[in-house]
Amino acid sequence: MDLFLQQVLNGVMIGSTYAVVALGFSLVFSVMRVVNMAHPEFFMAGAFGAYVMTRYVTTNVAGVLAGGMLVAAAVGLVVERLAIRPVRGRYVMIPFIATSGVGIALQHLAERVFGSDPVAIPAVVPAASYTFGPVSVTRMQLVTFAIAVVLMLGLRYYVRNTKWGRATRAVAERPEVAAAFGVDVDFVSRLTVGISALMAGAAGVSIGMLYTSAWAFMGLIYGLKSFVCMLVAGNRHVEGVMVVGLMLGVLEALVSGYLTSTLRDAVAFGVLVVVLVFKPNGLFGSYSV
Amino acid sequence: MSVLLRVQDLDVSYGAVPAVQGLALELPAGEIRAILGANGAGKTSTVKAILGLVRARGTIELEGQPIQGAPAHRIHALGVAWVPEGRQLFSTLTVHENLEMGAFARGHGDGFAARVDDIFAMFPRLRERHHQLAGSLSGGEQQMLAIARALVSEPRLLIMDEPSLGLAPKVVQRLFEQIQEINARGLSILMVEQNARQALRIAHYAYLLEVGRLAAEGPSAALMASENIQRAYLGG
Repeated sequence: MDLFLQQVLNGVMIGSTYAVVALGFSLVFSVMRVVNMAHPEFFMAGAFGAYVMTRYVTTNVAGVLAGGMLVAAAVGLVVERLAIRPVRGRYVMIPFIATSGVGIALQHLAERVFGSDPVAIPAVVPAASYTFGPVSVTRMQLVTFAIAVVLMLGLRYYVRNTKWGRATRAVAERPEVAAAFGVDVDFVSRLTVGISALMAGAAGVSIGMLYTSAWAFMGLIYGLKSFVCMLVAGNRHVEGVMVVGLMLGVLEALVSGYLTSTLRDAVAFGVLVVVLVFKPNGLFGSYSV
Repeated sequence: MSVLLRVQDLDVSYGAVPAVQGLALELPAGEIRAILGANGAGKTSTVKAILGLVRARGTIELEGQPIQGAPAHRIHALGVAWVPEGRQLFSTLTVHENLEMGAFARGHGDGFAARVDDIFAMFPRLRERHHQLAGSLSGGEQQMLAIARALVSEPRLLIMDEPSLGLAPKVVQRLFEQIQEINARGLSILMVEQNARQALRIAHYAYLLEVGRLAAEGPSAALMASENIQRAYLGG
C-alpha cells in the first residue's frame, strides 16, 4: 500500500509535466488544425535555455525558468513564421511535414551547438525531501509540480476569461467568421504557438532540472507522449488533456514500481492503442479534420 | 444620396473556375439592396469579396475609400458586419460571449452594456438565453443571435447572407419585419437571398445574378412587375 501511494504521488508529479507539454501541443492543434511536429523541440529548447542560464547567467530557479521559457518562445515564433503560418488551413499533412522538417533541423542545430552528448545542468534546487506519513516527496518534485499547476491554471484562465482567449476559441471553431468580426487570425496564430512554446519550454526546464541534463534529442519521447495524451483525451477539451497527462504519469509510475521501468513507455503506447480501438475520437471527443 | 458601398469590375475565381465576372453594384446609404439568384450564381462569393474573405480583382469602395485586398479584420473595423449563411455562430461560446465577439474590435468598455441592452430589447428571447451555449438555441433564436452579433459593433454596413435559409415561414415573416426595423434605424443593408419574392418585398433595389454575371438590376417594384423576371425567379 505504501509503495502504491508513493508511486501514485510520483506519477502525479511527473504527469503534471507531461500534461503541460501535451496541453500546448493540443492547443495548437485545436486552434489551427496543425499537428505541430516541432513542438517537442520547444521542450528541448527550454531545457537548453535552462542549461545556458545556469552556466552563464544565474542559478536562481525563477531566472532559469524564465530564461528557458523565453528561449522556447523565441524558437516557437520562428517555427510559426516558417512552417505554420504559410501552410495553415491546408490539408493536415502539409503542416505536419513542414513542422517535422523544421523540428529535425532544430534537433541537429542543437546537436551542432551543444554536442551529441547530454550536457549537465547543475542542481538549482537544493536537495531536500519531505515525508508525509507513508510517502515522501522531494523539493525538486514540488517545484516542477508547482510550475505545472500554475501554467495549467494560467492557460485555463487565459482561454476562458480573457478577450484574446475568447478570440482564440472563436478562431478554433470558425476562423473565417472570427476574422470577419475583427480578429487578426495571424496574430492569434502567433499568440497560440507562442503560448504553447512557453509551456513546453517550462516543462523542458522542469525535466532538465529534474534529471540534471539536456540533450539535443530529448524532445522525441516527450513529444510522443504528448501526442498520445492528445489522442487519448481528444482535442476538444483542454481539461481532458490535463487529466490524461496526469493519468499517464501515474500509470507509468505504477508500472515502474510494480513491474519494471523498461516497460514504462510500452504501456503508454499500449494504452493509446486500446483507447483508440474503443473510442476513436478520444475519451472527451474531437474536432474532425 | 451618398453612396456607402461601390463595387466595380469585380472578378472572383477559385483556381481556374470563375465565380463572379465583371460585377458592378452600389449601395446608397440608408437603403436595403438585395442580390438575388440561384445556387452557384456567385452571390456568396460577391459578399465574401466585400468582406475581405476571398481574393478578388476589381474595385470595392466604402464611402469612396478602396478596401479591396485589405484583410477581413481591417474591413470589419471600418464598420462592415456580417450575418453569414447558416448563422455560423460560435456554438461552443455562450450567447453573451458571442456578443462579446461581435464587439471584439470595438472593445467592451464604452457603451457595450448599453448596446447589448438595446439588442435584447429587440430580441427579448436572447436575454433569457444569455448564459446558454449558442449551439443549444433553436434555429430562429440562432438567427436572432447571428443578427445581434453583427449589430453589437454598430456597423455602417450590414451584409446578410441568406438570412431566411432553413427557417419556418412564420419565423421568416417576423425576420423580414425585423430587418426592415433595423434599416429604419438608419443601417444600410446588403442582402443575399434565394427567396426572391420575400427579399423584393423589403429591398429598395435588387441585382439579379446568373452564373457569375449581372443579368438584371432595378428598383424592386420594377423587377416584380417584369414578366421575364416573374417567370424566371418568382415562379409566376
